Amino acid sequence: MWETVAQAVINGLLIGGIYALVSIGVTLIFGVVKIVNFAQGEFVMIGMYISFFLATQFGIDPVISLLVTMPTLFVAGVLIQHFLIRRVLGPNDMPQIFLTFALSLLLLNLALLLFTANYRTVHTSYSDEAFHIGGLYIPVAKLIAFVVAMGLSAVLWVFLHTTDLGKAMRAAAQNRDVATLMGINPDRVFCVALGIALALAGAAGSLLMPFYSAYPLVGQVFTLMAFVAVVLGSLGNVMGALIASLMMGVAESLGIQYIGADSGLIVVFAMLLLTLAFKPTGLGGRAR
Amino acid sequence: MTHARTLLGLAVGAAVLIALPLVVKSSFAIDIFIRILLFSFIGVAWNLMGGYAKQLSLGHAAYFGLGAYTSTILQIDFNISPWIGMIAGGVVAALASLPIGWLCFRLRGPYFTIATIATAQALMLIFLKFRDFAWGAEGTTIPNLGNAPLMMQFEAKADYYYVVLGLLVLGLAITWLIERSWMGYYLVAIGEDEDAAEAIGVNAPKIKRDIYLISAFLTALAGTFYTQYIYFIDPATAFNFNISIEAALVSIVGGIGTLWGPVIGTVLLETTSALLQSWLGGSVGGVQLTVYSLILMAVILWRPTGLIGLARETWQRHVGRKAARA
Repeated sequence: MWETVAQAVINGLLIGGIYALVSIGVTLIFGVVKIVNFAQGEFVMIGMYISFFLATQFGIDPVISLLVTMPTLFVAGVLIQHFLIRRVLGPNDMPQIFLTFALSLLLLNLALLLFTANYRTVHTSYSDEAFHIGGLYIPVAKLIAFVVAMGLSAVLWVFLHTTDLGKAMRAAAQNRDVATLMGINPDRVFCVALGIALALAGAAGSLLMPFYSAYPLVGQVFTLMAFVAVVLGSLGNVMGALIASLMMGVAESLGIQYIGADSGLIVVFAMLLLTLAFKPTGLGGRAR
Repeated sequence: MTHARTLLGLAVGAAVLIALPLVVKSSFAIDIFIRILLFSFIGVAWNLMGGYAKQLSLGHAAYFGLGAYTSTILQIDFNISPWIGMIAGGVVAALASLPIGWLCFRLRGPYFTIATIATAQALMLIFLKFRDFAWGAEGTTIPNLGNAPLMMQFEAKADYYYVVLGLLVLGLAITWLIERSWMGYYLVAIGEDEDAAEAIGVNAPKIKRDIYLISAFLTALAGTFYTQYIYFIDPATAFNFNISIEAALVSIVGGIGTLWGPVIGTVLLETTSALLQSWLGGSVGGVQLTVYSLILMAVILWRPTGLIGLARETWQRHVGRKAARA
């Protein structure tokens, strides 16, 4: 009995690490630039396709291809901030919401046209390997993904708290006007925030590839998960998003184990709705 | 424009729309007209809340689906006419909008939008999961009764055309009345700045609740109509996210928060979609939404007031030049 629970918790935590990479990106963009990126999941999808093609064309391991996906998506993030998002920043919600929403629709449907709706998988030497500890089963690919995801989150945390640029980003998140008066260039900080957020999404894509299929719609689940995690973990709060993501991974996994294969998302939505009903400010902090 | 000219324009427009199916006999063309009228109507329903009050919902598929399922369940299990089912569906949707609104209105801006997506998706999952009362994922076909106008089934496509034309006229009339009422001014005030509106005494939560209720009711009518038109229902069609997307898209592209915006937006988008379909053949799902998203981005970046805003500016420049010459 406790073993099935423990197994479900482990599965949940492992996938929750990936959700964390995506939600940290969403919450970082929300905290610093004050917009919600509806296309975050689509950048996970792009990361997956880059890793898929590097693996099938050049035989590069998906986890190694992180070194390609992260810089590529960082540049993409800077360009998107500079040429698109910068033009819609202002008091009006509509352009901000629907610009990134249009971007999500565009990327998803371009992927559909270019790569078709087929599922793409990469089989690595460790795809079927697993550790057995007691009665528990820990797949190697998911463990690698989890460890790297937590490592990247830790690096981001250190970056935000120790470097000048990181502190400038946190300052801009707290109060944009005062930060500008202190000599922080908001445009530069926003570009870096977008870059980091998209690089994290790309990393999530590469890490997923050894055990998950790439297809054009794959990003939508991750966007939804990230949104719920970001609301749950208090908007704009990196640590909150991380913890909420792990919780959601576990909740989803327990839902699959005890309610049925397709009920993981129901559990996640239920969590969102309960949070909205009883604690709309998230697990700590305050809503906008 | 003077009052008389507006009335004349409306009369001519109405005459053309009524005569259209008598002149155009191609079933393909009538199908496109029906789609244009249907999505105009859904856009008009969305625009009441999303356009005037700027509560940008991406979850209106919830009410479309509730309307579709209510009338279908009443029809198949209880043999009640979809005409009654349509009203019942509207009432169910309006009632559902109260708890959904209670939850979603706790968040503002983009997070309101996300909450509406989540509630619509959750409803779809419920209908997928519980096959006892709503046929589960397989859905069901609507029994074909031949020409049965009392059961909202017609042999001629033109008759469906008149039904949905009636719905659109209803939606536009309601919008026109609300635009001219106190409620209309309150909605615009909330859309401009909710805190400022509340500061001058607008009861924003109540106004938002009421407009959401009206918007949900109207969207549900479209759901019933669509199910009767395609003779089929399943959770994936009835709660399709694309319905939520298109409701918002047509309004934004045409002109958000204007009476005719959703209609103009739908004409542009659906005509584009039909042209793409005839150029590229059947499988254009990806192409259609790629083009829609590019149009949406272009509008947001260059003309956030939509096609109506563009037309107004061009007209004013034209009038200005004439005045300068005189």
